[in-house]
Amino acid sequence: MTRIEQKIIRKAAKGDRAAFRELVLEHSHAMFRLAWRLSGDQNAAEDIVQEAFIKAWRKIGEFRMDSSFKSWLHRITVNTAMDYLRKHVRRKQFETPEPEFETLDRAADVPDTGTQIDISRQTQVAMMDLSEAERTALLLKHYEGHSIQEVARIMEITTGACKQNIFRAVKKMRIALRPLVAT
Amino acid sequence: MKHITDEDLTLLFYGEHDDPELAVRVAESEELSDRYDALCAELKLADAYQPPQRGDDYGAEVWQRIESQLVAPGVGAFRRESKAGGRLGDWLASLVQPRFSLAGALSIALVAVLAFTLGRNGPQEAIINPNAPAGATPAMAMADIDSSRLLTHSVSTHLEQVNLVLTQFVNTSETSSNETEYATDMLVANRLYRQAAVQQGNHKLAAFLADLEPLLIELAYQAQSGSPATRERMQQEVKDGLLFRVRVMNKQLNKPEISV
Repeated sequence: MTRIEQKIIRKAAKGDRAAFRELVLEHSHAMFRLAWRLSGDQNAAEDIVQEAFIKAWRKIGEFRMDSSFKSWLHRITVNTAMDYLRKHVRRKQFETPEPEFETLDRAADVPDTGTQIDISRQTQVAMMDLSEAERTALLLKHYEGHSIQEVARIMEITTGACKQNIFRAVKKMRIALRPLVAT
Repeated sequence: MKHITDEDLTLLFYGEHDDPELAVRVAESEELSDRYDALCAELKLADAYQPPQRGDDYGAEVWQRIESQLVAPGVGAFRRESKAGGRLGDWLASLVQPRFSLAGALSIALVAVLAFTLGRNGPQEAIINPNAPAGATPAMAMADIDSSRLLTHSVSTHLEQVNLVLTQFVNTSETSSNETEYATDMLVANRLYRQAAVQQGNHKLAAFLADLEPLLIELAYQAQSGSPATRERMQQEVKDGLLFRVRVMNKQLNKPEISV
């Protein structure tokens, strides 16, 4: 974390909205990417980002300067996304038979290599078949580039548990994606 | 020699393996190289999982959407510490930009008159009349009791309305314009009652009403513009205790002979 960022965070912690705005401008894209990958839904991701920033504003006084601000924001985003998804999945169970990502082509299980395949969509389906912990660990490691220790800290689990989540996620993803390699 | 597992290769792929010799061993072994290449090819496919692009001004859009919801530090949604202090008072004063219906405006005007009357009739220093017969009830004390009862009754009615609106709020997923309008009216009424309670020396009631204010502010100013997630959080916080406290306080106010 740069000195400038530290200074901005300190100002935001004192209630300086302009300083907090700087942080929102800086981190919005990354938080959206994470929220979208966690939720698999654009509208949900937008809501999660907003809610996460509001939480961050409330808690910014608790942030410790010796840790990574990006990791701290990611932890808030992950927690917000989990809360959001649990609530919405519960609601959707009553309202609609299937969540949005389920409407994607389920042929991911046995893809037709002879046709044009949207690998991104197949990956999304495979990703959403992972458990919450597996998906979160894999996203933070694979896409966000956090170290295993950082992922464990963000998820508030042990390093060993974090590794196991990543291993299980990788194993499942490989099985789902293997048939697409030839294409 | 230790068997190399897929977990080892996964750690190698992510640059997290403890053994610096592992990469050399994989490079030297055809079988390990094939396994590692397969893993790389499969995991690299996952890179295609890319979110939809946001525009350059996405950060500004996010800011625009959340700015109105950023409560000043120390004036959190339903924080217990947010008693009606100078800071909250100042903030409230700056926030109260009436958007009442005509009926709402009339009811607020009535509440204002009532609160003013209650405030004026609040406890004052007892005037001792040395000529008064022993055991006589001072007229001032009677006036205090009457104004206290009037305040209790008025606040009870107010809490019934709050209870109704909160119950409706926690049981509906969509914000209606009525909801924010009622909340705005109740916010102003709540503030006036709180001031009346302070003037009457009923600090417990004043503190309770002060606790309600942040919630009414959020309902009035944030529920409509906030995201579904914000609404759900607020609903949960109301369900988690505030609704119960409103009901308990109202019950206490309605108990005969018990001063709150």
